[in-house]
Amino acid sequence: MERTELIASLKEILGEENVLASEMDLTLYGYDASLEKGRPDAVVLPGSTEEVSRIVGLAYREKIPVIARGSGTNLSGGTVPVRGGIVVHLSRMNRVLEIDIPNRTVTVEPGVLTLDLQNLLLKKGLQYAPDPASQKVSTLGGNFGENSGGPHCLKYGVTTNHVLGAEVVIYDGTVVWIGGKCPDHAGYDITGLLVGSEGTLGMATKIMLRIIPAPEAVKTMLAIYDSIEDAGNTVSAIIAEGIVPATLEMMDNLVIKAVEESVHAGYPMDAAAVLIIELDGMADGMERQAEKIFDICKRHRVREVRLAKSDAERAELWAGRKGAFGAVARLRPSYLVCDGTVPRTKLPEVLGKVIQVGKKYELPIGNVFHAGDGNLHPLILFDERNREELSRVHKAATEILKICADVGGTISGEHGIGTEKLKEMSFIFSESDIDFMRDLKNAFDPVDIWNPGKVVPARQAATA
Amino acid sequence: MGQFTQLNEDLAIAIGQERIKTDQAFTARYSFDGLSPRAVVFPKDIRQVKEIVSLAAKAGVSMIPWGSGTKKCMGATPSGADIVVSTEKMNHMLDVDVANLTITVEAGVKFRDIQARLATQEDRCYLPLEELGKESDELICSDRAHSGCFLPLDPPFSDRATIGGIIATNSSGPRRLLYGLPRDLLLGVRFVTPEGEIVGAGGKTVKNVSGYDVSKLMIGSYGTLGILCEMTLRLLPLPERMETLVFEFPSISEAGSFAEAMLRTKLLPAALEIMNSRAFEAVGNRAGIYAKTGSCLVMVALEGFEEAVERMKKEMLAAGDRLGANTGIGLKEDKHNPLWLAVGNIQTFNSDKNKDLVALKLTYPLSEWKEIYAYCQNLIAGEGLKHTILCHAGSGVSLINLLPEDRRERDSTVGLVSGLRDKCREKGGNLVVECAPPDLKKRMIVWGNIGGAGILMERLRNAIDPSGIMNPGRFFPTN
Ligand SMILES: Cc1cc2nc3c(=O)[nH]c(=O)nc-3n(C[C@H](O)[C@H](O)[C@H](O)COP(=O)(O)OP(=O)(O)OC[C@H]3O[C@@H](n4cnc5c(N)ncnc54)[C@H](O)[C@@H]3O)c2cc1C
Repeated sequence: MERTELIASLKEILGEENVLASEMDLTLYGYDASLEKGRPDAVVLPGSTEEVSRIVGLAYREKIPVIARGSGTNLSGGTVPVRGGIVVHLSRMNRVLEIDIPNRTVTVEPGVLTLDLQNLLLKKGLQYAPDPASQKVSTLGGNFGENSGGPHCLKYGVTTNHVLGAEVVIYDGTVVWIGGKCPDHAGYDITGLLVGSEGTLGMATKIMLRIIPAPEAVKTMLAIYDSIEDAGNTVSAIIAEGIVPATLEMMDNLVIKAVEESVHAGYPMDAAAVLIIELDGMADGMERQAEKIFDICKRHRVREVRLAKSDAERAELWAGRKGAFGAVARLRPSYLVCDGTVPRTKLPEVLGKVIQVGKKYELPIGNVFHAGDGNLHPLILFDERNREELSRVHKAATEILKICADVGGTISGEHGIGTEKLKEMSFIFSESDIDFMRDLKNAFDPVDIWNPGKVVPARQAATA
Repeated sequence: MGQFTQLNEDLAIAIGQERIKTDQAFTARYSFDGLSPRAVVFPKDIRQVKEIVSLAAKAGVSMIPWGSGTKKCMGATPSGADIVVSTEKMNHMLDVDVANLTITVEAGVKFRDIQARLATQEDRCYLPLEELGKESDELICSDRAHSGCFLPLDPPFSDRATIGGIIATNSSGPRRLLYGLPRDLLLGVRFVTPEGEIVGAGGKTVKNVSGYDVSKLMIGSYGTLGILCEMTLRLLPLPERMETLVFEFPSISEAGSFAEAMLRTKLLPAALEIMNSRAFEAVGNRAGIYAKTGSCLVMVALEGFEEAVERMKKEMLAAGDRLGANTGIGLKEDKHNPLWLAVGNIQTFNSDKNKDLVALKLTYPLSEWKEIYAYCQNLIAGEGLKHTILCHAGSGVSLINLLPEDRRERDSTVGLVSGLRDKCREKGGNLVVECAPPDLKKRMIVWGNIGGAGILMERLRNAIDPSGIMNPGRFFPTN
């Protein structure tokens, strides 16, 4: 199909104003929060499932790629159109359709912003637990696509643990419901497979999420360290001691300094590392848990532990963590976030090696991450315009992921594979593992239109 | 059949004659739903499973993966069962990483052995050891200071079931209310596909979005996508204190109000199990607890920190008084574990007494449970059938065992199943027949409503097992 014809057909489905095709539009929708770039043939802004279904039907007949897009904040190239096609921007589908308190579910359209939903629920004493640090701008559709995590996922699990079902448009435009309010659906866990599939197996047009009562009590602590190893060892010691806090976040000196300069969260500028430790749940017994944690921190030579005494103090401690990526971004023109994840006990060892990688490639690396999950986020700072530096950055990132894979970890904890980590898939998967994924992809996408070129690496030529 | 003799010879070369049993007296022990396998094989590891599956696939014979057979009757009757692949010899714990709160085990490892291995002291085991016949001392590890950890699942048949079978059938129990489901605990898998490839996914980290979440797909796949060989699961520290409360109520109406009131508080019970008196009789007997007056009982599991358990106990006992309980008692850890083990074994107790047992699993949106419970009770009582009901309140699941005693009652189960399913469907739920005598099962719809996603499931199944040799017909009658 000719591009002009495509655009005309799309306009017929969606109306003139909901199809974008100017030079500027195509450039704007050609990138996301990663370093990857591409270019779509058209961008559409559907307002209903029916419209999405018709778009996909058209794409299926004409074999045109379809790329779902929420806010484009993913960090792995998940929304970059690498083979052209139609970007389906879901921002207009942003209604909360139902809050069903007796059944503890909420049903939303994919364009609802994560934090908007959370604020709405909080007013009713309820919560949707997964809280990616980008929650202010990320969409629930994007969270579904990436199986996003966040600071509170240590205790509550990631997005997939909270998705009960979805209305999905499948490869030929047919609309089906998977999962739902009734638990333990007979048959395969299609919902579980679709969450985190980065729009390569289908597109969610409604998402049903689990809501839970907000916890009765919360205790937030900031532990300040003079050595990063001590902080890392504290993390594994807390878990090994049998305590599962709601959150265990860590930041190193580079990040602390950046945060203090922009957000003023009150972290000491000279600290080597800080941990944010949060307990939540029933109030009973929490005091004693907090004391145990104090003890463990002390045994690991903590400089000081501060306890948030009010909601305002708690918000301040968190402001630093939530603003960390943004703060670091001010230091150099560009940054690349790695997302390697390791068994928690390997954290101190891996952190040490990450520091070595920074030295080897002469690149500043900041660390701000979900320590309790073993989910590292080394932020490599550089200037994208400097080609030589950029190539060192890619080498350093790959090396870091290799380190994670080698200690029994994985290459992505929550940011996804996209296009960015395709070549590292072989660090953790054999060819037969990947073949199985290809079979799945094929079953769900027989003409290869769903976000092609993502997640599953193309089969290697025999010589490679 | 010549083809089968050839296969046996090839298998003998590949895995050793001693791992293949073909004499009828032996294979008969592996019959189910009126089917008898022609051979039972005992691979020692995933590589041998690969050998077996590759050879069987080439010969085009059907395979039935087998743990300890506790759930052999679940699902539709397969269209073929040539070879049973037993995971019995694949019983190693490959990596017990208590500090990381994960464990990696082979599929044939018994659930109880995992719990015993993880507890540091015998009496802290999440399953009572005296019930287990104290397998061996070395199961108890003591490499950590605090009181050990556990795999937070409490599936039925937990004293016999293998972990592979539990995961393959998405098996869970009352305490899912607090701890969640297999899908919340399984971090990684290694399995052999119907075409004989070894495939791994996931790993040892609690967060992992590298590639598709294949582990989720294997949960509840009933061996139709491959043979699960190894899996990694997340653990939790053992609760400091575990207690059970038992309340007797005059009827479901008071019991229901109590349960609903408790679910609205900030208290976090591990389980809220509502049952009829016949169910409690079977369960309570095992722990020497006898119901006196109630027709409807509520068992509450409290697990957590000392202070939290203490408060839940106080507030719930008071609420029971207020909301019309005839009696409410608190039971310590020595009764707690045996009681909950018995809850999981109710189907065994029932089938020991009644070989015609029909076991049903009803699922529905959480809020509908009271109406469904009352409806079931009336409908079944109308037919005069003895039955047990266990309702996981707050989870949207009820387990009903029908215990027909004569021919008429036996026949009536077929109508009951469709009547109960209609009610569940009307409420947005479903009913699955988990166990029934073969002749009755043929007259019942096993899976009920698979819904719109059925199209995707069939596509998936056909892509992964194009020749339809893994547990054929368990899900889809077409292959
Ligand atoms: C500063 C910053 C902090 C971050 N912090 C975190 C964090 O703490 N934890 C974390 O996990 N991530 C984090 N992220 C990454 C990112 O925000 C998440 O991946 C988020 O879920 C993406 O949401 P989005 O709406 O921007 O989705 P997009 O980037 O638009 O899309 C993400 C993927 O989902 C697919 N998709 C979108 N909508 C649908 C749909 N309806 N159906 C099917 N597939 C769909 C897309 O095709 C794409 O592959 C962070 C990013 C930034 C920039």
